[in-house]
Amino acid sequence: MNGWAGKVLDIDLTNGAIQSYPLDMEMARQYLGGRGLGTRLLWDLVGPEVEPLSPENGLIFACGPLTATGYQTSNRFSVSTKSPLTGTVLDANSGGFWGMQFKKAGWDALIVRGRAEKPVWIEIKMDQVVMHDASHLWGKRVRETTALLGQNNNRRNVLCIGPAGENLVRMSAIMNDGERSLARGGPGAVMGSKNLKAIVVEGKLRPEILDEERFKFLLYESRKLLRASPLTSQALPEFGTSVVMNLVNAVGSLPTRNFQQSQFEGAEAISGEALTENYLVKNASCWACPIGCTRITKTEKVEGEGPEFETTWAFGAACGIDDLAAIIEANAISNDLGIDTISAGSTIACAMELSEKGYLDSDLRFGRADLLAPALEDIGYRRGLGEELAEGSLRFASRYGHPELSMSVKGLEMPAYDPRGMQGQGLLYATSNRGACHMRGNMLGLEVLGLPKLIDRFQVQGKSSFVILHQNAMAAIDSLVICKFTNMGVAEEYFARTLTSVTGLQFSTGDLIRIGERVWNLERLYNLREGFSKADDTLPPRLLEEPVAEGPSKGWVSRLEPMLKEYYRARGWDEHGIPRPAKLADLGLVNLMESV
Amino acid sequence: MVDERIYEMCREIGRDLYTADMVSSHGGNISIRLGDRIIIKRRGAMLGNLKPHDLIETGLEKNDSGVALASTELIVHRQIYKQTPALAICHCHPRTAIALSLSREEIVPIDNEGSYLLKKVPIIWEEFASGTPEMANKLANALQNYKIVMLRGHGSFATGQTLDEAFFWSSTLEEGCQIILAAKAINEPFLEYRKMSDSYTKW
Repeated sequence: MNGWAGKVLDIDLTNGAIQSYPLDMEMARQYLGGRGLGTRLLWDLVGPEVEPLSPENGLIFACGPLTATGYQTSNRFSVSTKSPLTGTVLDANSGGFWGMQFKKAGWDALIVRGRAEKPVWIEIKMDQVVMHDASHLWGKRVRETTALLGQNNNRRNVLCIGPAGENLVRMSAIMNDGERSLARGGPGAVMGSKNLKAIVVEGKLRPEILDEERFKFLLYESRKLLRASPLTSQALPEFGTSVVMNLVNAVGSLPTRNFQQSQFEGAEAISGEALTENYLVKNASCWACPIGCTRITKTEKVEGEGPEFETTWAFGAACGIDDLAAIIEANAISNDLGIDTISAGSTIACAMELSEKGYLDSDLRFGRADLLAPALEDIGYRRGLGEELAEGSLRFASRYGHPELSMSVKGLEMPAYDPRGMQGQGLLYATSNRGACHMRGNMLGLEVLGLPKLIDRFQVQGKSSFVILHQNAMAAIDSLVICKFTNMGVAEEYFARTLTSVTGLQFSTGDLIRIGERVWNLERLYNLREGFSKADDTLPPRLLEEPVAEGPSKGWVSRLEPMLKEYYRARGWDEHGIPRPAKLADLGLVNLMESV
Repeated sequence: MVDERIYEMCREIGRDLYTADMVSSHGGNISIRLGDRIIIKRRGAMLGNLKPHDLIETGLEKNDSGVALASTELIVHRQIYKQTPALAICHCHPRTAIALSLSREEIVPIDNEGSYLLKKVPIIWEEFASGTPEMANKLANALQNYKIVMLRGHGSFATGQTLDEAFFWSSTLEEGCQIILAAKAINEPFLEYRKMSDSYTKW
């Protein structure tokens, strides 16, 4: 077996049954691993009748054929489930060490189903799989749980939930290696609903590589590209992901105060430069990563990893807050409780606007940095207003009669790019299968950074082609599974050739993108089966109707309608956004359409 | 009607290809993919002096009246878009690369930029080297694995997400070929400066 471990672990928490079976290699060729494999397995496991927080929902952890090979950033893994926040298909992926360790334990995927009677944690040491009582861990925060279970970066890795997951917070994350997260869409709540506190792995195998010499050459060439790119060799290591804060703000696409403005006067104060100058202790790396964008930061109150750009934006510009120390502390609390920072920051921003407009009786106001930490604690423990905030911005804003103030798509809060200043990003958000997400084909590269080349961010005609290509490419990268930041210096061509050198199976760049297209269409079918439709492929009314008042994007709204029309046609979908039979036949998905 | 922003981009790349000596007055062509549509240079139009009406829009799969006006290489462009993830194609006639294609099976740049970016450029050929289905298939197949391919004695086809990117591969190839030619003229022993360079021929 080259690349893949060839085995799937299947645990039913209801009856304690532990099974293993061979990986379906035809499925592996079609979907690779990670997000692709997870989605395909989820299709069979979790139908439309299943409630996300019921025992029937599944949690599928998966790595890919490149995981643990030593190829750059081959440390990642994903979790797939039905989202308790959105009801859509969901996958989230994370870096660190856990994914690498799980693969080294000899597994490609872990399916967790059912619900344990009492809290448990699972220990996987190669083929030895044991379920332990977790009563003493239940209620503990992420850092403490991780330490108690013996986290040791290269030997033993811990994945767990915090209080937010236990309390079924719909924006709760699964955390691994202490401070990395599978964050978006609420997978932590699914794990909590199963009474599963943690999964600990120890492994010692290295995946087999068919052509070692060629693999080494490709690794060498890829590293050369990463070293040559100032973005991956200087900007990200020196300033972290927040290096883009000033750049996005400069083009008028940094959503501010719940997307009421698109430039933040305090951007400089919360930028990557400010973070490095005032709070950085050192930078760190995930396993096998030559970039090292991880920040280890310290304030008077906390020391730990982060915050990332999206987090800094969510607790910063989105909430009108320019107090970087407060943002770092909010990030640390979120990580310890196990909360998705994007959804949390956006939901708090939504509450701030509701309060300022008199729709909600609370102290929350834009700029109130002192209220961030208490709000997060309340969310994590579902206390006071936190009980309502824990449901996410769409349910929250709807409760107060103003769903239009939830800056979300399909119920998932939008990340840090205003679609009015980046037209492609709007189409990306509207069509993203797990709800608004920048990791599904971020247009930041093309529309702002010029990767691979700069395109006109206000261009509407033809924008769908870029969005589709990047959605497909990111789905493929999420299935390998490697970090998208490598793609800022290394093109998909290298990934395809590396995959060939590892597995011995021939993959061209086009083959890889086509796998991504298959994954994207399968996710679309999943959502259609759940009852989602064209009506859900939209943006909040603010972005479609309220032109940006000031700055470089002044006068612009998102021109979604013509882009969406072009997008459906280019995807081979009908005018209702349903994949045409010819497209599904082409992708080998036609038999699945019958159940939609 | 082609969007003004798209016209401007095509006009600039066309002008740059001409001024860089990559095409003759009426040679070469460029196209971009817009979903299931293609915008391609008009047959016989001058790349160095494109007007708005020189950009023809037609279907990727389906014919319409636009095909009557499109470049003779339309069939090749369509096939490449169907078989690869390309969103832009640049076909030009880089002179040194064409000269080298007459005596080689592949071009392996020896300069740093060419090695770094292209590794190797395959050369393919057909009896009828323009606008035939056979050539279209061969080119599209080769472009599944390479971002730029030479057509022996004719010119290069490069793909990218943007025209800018496809132009970049084209000019990098021509620069690399000029350096090969210059090194050959100097005719002194080659001092290898690249690690693992023998792997380039297997790219």
